Amino acid sequence: MSISKEEIGSSSRHISYSDNDYSAMTERYKLTISDLFAWFGMKQALKNINLNIRSHIVTAIIGPSGCGKTTLIRCINRMHEMTPNAKAKGSVILDGLDIYDKAVDPVTIKRRIGMVFQKPNPFPTMSIYENVAAGLKLNGIRDKKLIDEVVRESLEGAALWEEVKSELTKPGIGLSGGQQQRLCIARALAMQPEILLMDEPTSALDPIASSKIEELVHTLKKDLTIITVTHNMQQAARVSDYTAFMYLGELVEYGPTKQIFENPQNEMTERYISGKFG
Amino acid sequence: MTRLLDLGIEHIQNIVMDMAKLSERSVFASIESYEKGTSLIKKQIFDWSENLRLMQDEVSDLSMELIARYQPVATDLRFIRSCMEIAYDFSRFGRYSYDIADVLETMGSIPDCDKSYVLKMSNTVREMINLSINALQSRDRNAAQKLYEMDDTVDALYRRYVNEIINPQENQNKKEFLDKTLRCYISALLILRYLERISDHACYIGDSVYYVVTGNSNPRR
Repeated sequence: MSISKEEIGSSSRHISYSDNDYSAMTERYKLTISDLFAWFGMKQALKNINLNIRSHIVTAIIGPSGCGKTTLIRCINRMHEMTPNAKAKGSVILDGLDIYDKAVDPVTIKRRIGMVFQKPNPFPTMSIYENVAAGLKLNGIRDKKLIDEVVRESLEGAALWEEVKSELTKPGIGLSGGQQQRLCIARALAMQPEILLMDEPTSALDPIASSKIEELVHTLKKDLTIITVTHNMQQAARVSDYTAFMYLGELVEYGPTKQIFENPQNEMTERYISGKFG
Repeated sequence: MTRLLDLGIEHIQNIVMDMAKLSERSVFASIESYEKGTSLIKKQIFDWSENLRLMQDEVSDLSMELIARYQPVATDLRFIRSCMEIAYDFSRFGRYSYDIADVLETMGSIPDCDKSYVLKMSNTVREMINLSINALQSRDRNAAQKLYEMDDTVDALYRRYVNEIINPQENQNKKEFLDKTLRCYISALLILRYLERISDHACYIGDSVYYVVTGNSNPRR
């Protein structure tokens, strides 16, 4: 996996790299999570999470309901703290930057770490074009030609352009469920994120639409690092390169997907993925 | 909680254990018929061999169905994969048993032949078959090591016998050697070869058990 220097040096990234840093980049982790705890009021949701996410791969997070999967990814892009009485403690390092540092603007983090949710949520009053362009406009970009170019590239990246190119002015909510989800992915891609978080992205979709999203994930990982939460273990086995199993707020096991599904080291992992509990 | 997959796994396990008993019976019967110098049991051994082949197909079909339907993972997946391999090993036991019985029919009466090599090797092979079946039942990951040690003994015996044939004793009359002992040597050599292959397959069963339990290939292999 290699990253070109141009891709690293775009305007949305405020860290500059020397030639030595660049060549070492691909060998480092994209995201390093250390001693992460999270609470909703008094209820502890995450307990001492330590996890290193490799660059340009798909990492799946699996586990029974309530184990902390969604809380974990919401901590990664600083959405967790937006919930009243929610707090997090620990370190999340994105390319050498501690995202919880007081000097870091959470909005910047959300720009670098995009998110797609379980239920497709295109902005209901906006057209397909406006949905994708929304983020750009909110960030002060007014150049129409640039916006048109980014919208097209984003819709192409989300494998939706050919289906909607003649209907860009139509409402986003007029699309099918699967198309709406790809529109949401395009909206996230428009901000050129480095990481894409996906919270059960296909659980509301039919099998064909789900299959298209899975194929899209496989394509996107060439350019992005993807972390996906899923209840569907077969999907985790299909799409991911690495898998993390969580239970009751703790990270139980993390490793290459092949190893997790063929020869898990932890008995609880074996029991969960074999369907013996959960 | 019984999973639907568990019902299928239990079914495969039962077929494999049936194959174990049948193949063991087949090998022992063929060795006994050599010992007693009778080929009357060939038809029976052939039928057993055919049954083993059909049972192997049944294990393969059932394994594919379980994989397609239930997407088994981890130990379940390793077990299913191993059952397909072990079923093949047992079907080979049956085939080699038939080959041994076929040698007796082809060579005819060999009452004056020295059978000591074959009987010695067959004792070791019988022990190996028992050990591999017990390892399968009890999921004994350490059996593979013992099986390979016994296999070394079998291989050494086979090589010694081959050497004896190709380097006959100097004071032995060559015409007498060819007239009187050729039939004995050919029959023994063929049977030793089949027993040596049965020994190899017993080791492979040990490897499969090791893989099911640990998830890793046996280092010896």
